[in-house]
Amino acid sequence: MAKDIAQMRNIGISAHIDSGKTTLTERILFFCNRIHAIHEVRGKDGVGATMDSMELEKERGITIASAATNVQWKNIDINIIDTPGHVDFTIEVERALRVLDGAILVLCSVAGVQSQSITVDRQLKRYNVPRVAFVNKCDRTGANPYRVADQLREKLNLNSVMMQIPIGLEDNHEGVVDLITMEALYFDGDENYAVRKAEIPANLQDEAQEKREIMLDALSMFDEELMELMMEEGDIPVEVIHRAVRKGTLDLELCPVFLGSAYKNKGVQPLLDAVESYLPNPMDIENKALDLDNDEAEVILSSDDSKPPVVLAFKLEDGQYGQLTYIRIYQGSVKKGSELYNIRSKKKFKVGRLVRMHSNNMEDITEAGSGDIVALFGIECASGDTFVQNGMNLSMTSMYVPEPVISLSIEPKDKKASDKMAKALNRFTKEDPTFRTYVDDESNQTIIQGMGELHLEVYIERMKREYGAEVTTGAPQVAYREAISGSVDFNYTHKKQTGGSGQYARVAGRMEPLEDKDYEFVSEIKGGVIPTEYIPSCDKGFRSALDKGSLIGHPIVGVKMVINDGQYHAVDSSDQAFQTAARAAFREAYMKAKPVILEPIMKVSVEGPSEFQGNIFGSINQRRGIIIGSTEEGAMCTVEAEVPLSEMFGYSTVLRSSTQGKAEFTMEFAKYSKVPTGISEELVKAFQEKNKNK
Amino acid sequence: MVKEELTKNSPLRILEKATHGGLGKGNIAVIASKRGIGKTACLVHIATDKLMRDKHVIHVSFSSRTDHILDWYEDIFKEISQKRDLENAMEVHDELVKNRVIMNFNQDGVTMDQVLNSVKAMIENGQKGTDAIVVDGYDFTKNSDGDVIAKVKAFAKELDLEVWFTDSYEGEVVQEGAIPSNLKCCEENLSVIMVLKNVGGIMNLNLVKDHGNEIKEDLSLILDSKTLLIARK
Repeated sequence: MAKDIAQMRNIGISAHIDSGKTTLTERILFFCNRIHAIHEVRGKDGVGATMDSMELEKERGITIASAATNVQWKNIDINIIDTPGHVDFTIEVERALRVLDGAILVLCSVAGVQSQSITVDRQLKRYNVPRVAFVNKCDRTGANPYRVADQLREKLNLNSVMMQIPIGLEDNHEGVVDLITMEALYFDGDENYAVRKAEIPANLQDEAQEKREIMLDALSMFDEELMELMMEEGDIPVEVIHRAVRKGTLDLELCPVFLGSAYKNKGVQPLLDAVESYLPNPMDIENKALDLDNDEAEVILSSDDSKPPVVLAFKLEDGQYGQLTYIRIYQGSVKKGSELYNIRSKKKFKVGRLVRMHSNNMEDITEAGSGDIVALFGIECASGDTFVQNGMNLSMTSMYVPEPVISLSIEPKDKKASDKMAKALNRFTKEDPTFRTYVDDESNQTIIQGMGELHLEVYIERMKREYGAEVTTGAPQVAYREAISGSVDFNYTHKKQTGGSGQYARVAGRMEPLEDKDYEFVSEIKGGVIPTEYIPSCDKGFRSALDKGSLIGHPIVGVKMVINDGQYHAVDSSDQAFQTAARAAFREAYMKAKPVILEPIMKVSVEGPSEFQGNIFGSINQRRGIIIGSTEEGAMCTVEAEVPLSEMFGYSTVLRSSTQGKAEFTMEFAKYSKVPTGISEELVKAFQEKNKNK
Repeated sequence: MVKEELTKNSPLRILEKATHGGLGKGNIAVIASKRGIGKTACLVHIATDKLMRDKHVIHVSFSSRTDHILDWYEDIFKEISQKRDLENAMEVHDELVKNRVIMNFNQDGVTMDQVLNSVKAMIENGQKGTDAIVVDGYDFTKNSDGDVIAKVKAFAKELDLEVWFTDSYEGEVVQEGAIPSNLKCCEENLSVIMVLKNVGGIMNLNLVKDHGNEIKEDLSLILDSKTLLIARK
């Protein structure tokens, strides 16, 4: 039976690493009666939290994959997508965000809004995901949820409104006051698992009243009835307040703030109630697909089970029983035994086993309806594929996939490892579009590419653990680019007319730098000096020269090629001749057009205690970094900088040792910019050496 | 126009001339006005002018976000480079960015000692050879005994740099040529004081203290209400 869509919630739990996300997830699963013992992430009992299903995650204490888990809370059905916290795995986060309808943003009540929270929030904004905030760890020393709520406003620009106030903080954290019902909620029942409602403690009466006023003020703009009731100073029904919060949250104009301590089992049940009351069901969200028959025009999908199905495969996993494909159904329903069509591979397939995932166990089901998140077994596909009813030609919007910035050569230790490595790589590239692999035709080495050092390290570890493939790795390589900095005219004749069939072509024109685009070709040929059929050959010839620049053999970007003159020979000119001429003309012009090397610059954010800020500044300065700014707040400081990726290798170790392990950093790709002359010369020299030795 | 020519013709040279060669290292200057008149713009223009002359500047602010300040710099740079048709504007811009750091302190009750410590750490580890510090949004009323400013003065002397402050005064009608009363307590440590005043819709920038010198004539500088740049009257 397909479920009632209004009772369905697809949510993600997004957070900075170590703010207690996995613990919170674990508690949510527990309170929803799905698991019977609570395990910590770094489990003392060695079992590990239920959502972290991969061995590696258990070891590192972080969550890498986004498993989808289904739980029941009261009358609603919640699918939880556990999103990874580290920036190096952002594609996982982004992919998970794509299928979410709402999110819980978890923050640490001590550390507050951290660099990672900012990144995660930006992603939520990009996908327009409504969110509620949960200020966790209120039992910790230095807990201050009020400050966190202020930070949400200041740093994330969210209209944060506290829906609760804490009853005691740090060691005295006992519960919360619900500002809507004006009740105190204690979590001291049977081993903290039941909520006990009581009167607000006398010492908190005034504060509760004051904060309630602030909350109602903020909410009044979302509901006219509420505003009128407030002006009349009459009693305000709880439902009216709920309605206002829900409207504000769904419109992305409000971020209700809840608090507690997941570890101490405080505040989790009210948070689940908030998920029910304020986060959207799949019908509240408008989803669009692209019509491939109609120039990718947007088509609005409807969460109607009777319509033809449109399904997105957002996650692949190697389970104990073969490949598991997590899908989100955007329209229609999927039945066991029915037939679907994969838009990318253009293949039909039959839905064999259809399952609902409950963390590490699964339930076989016969049908799943619109809005649901379930998994399929034994389907050959890549993540990001769209499945539809045969005959339709719709695709879910392509996800934003960044270009990899780092590469690494890998070599299997022995023959046996070689096969396993191939198998692993095949799987990883299907799972993660930011992870790429190819064989370099010059060195014959296998190269893997990704978004950062850690990103690639994790895959190498997984290769070893999950596939038993031991590999040795080369030094990480930065994905440099080449570009030109000046305009230049070219005029090249390709001529080979001695014996046999001859070749003749002349191309002339201009090479210009181009911003915001990799390549552009313009033909200003008049009077047929180059016959029309050979003009695409020129374009092709230029393009073929882009792959490897003459400076250091990296791809060339930002070039506009204009051809305005040329010559042909009635017999000896050919497609091939014009391609060769164009390629040679490009190479010749390129060296005259003041070529430069571009390197990826990362936006780096380092966070640590203020006492170490000198070391942090120094560490960035030594790495050719530009410090954009620093912010000090309390005893913590955040330094924002732009640093070339090539200088960031091994930074985590350096940072750790110079700050007693108290600082951490995140980085993401910012832009490409010109390499300083001295370093550029070194790179060119190294490239020439390498070529000479061949 | 090239960078050198642009800075040579900048209206800020008038200010330098009027103050007998400028503020000078080891000294403190204050731009005072009522709120919302354009002090920050003035300060950013002064900082940008220094950056364009290849000097290093640290901008200290007490707001919650650095990007807000960055926007000010971008806007002022854009106005200057467009108005004066600067050559190689992008390259000049990239150079400026390298010599500029924004340090933000958004904690209530952050002490000047903390600020100076952090600035010192920045200078020693990241921005060696800093020529000037510009401080935006410091509340001079907190400094009722003038002690804090004395510390800043000692700091400026020790590290051999200029310090520029902004000051907001409210609820006071500052007479022509007079020093706002909230600066009186630390006046001895301030070398240059300017007051930005709205006179009939025009923002006049007046010099009210110039080291120990008597102020003879009007600066003839205003703040252009459209571009928010300091300009000739």
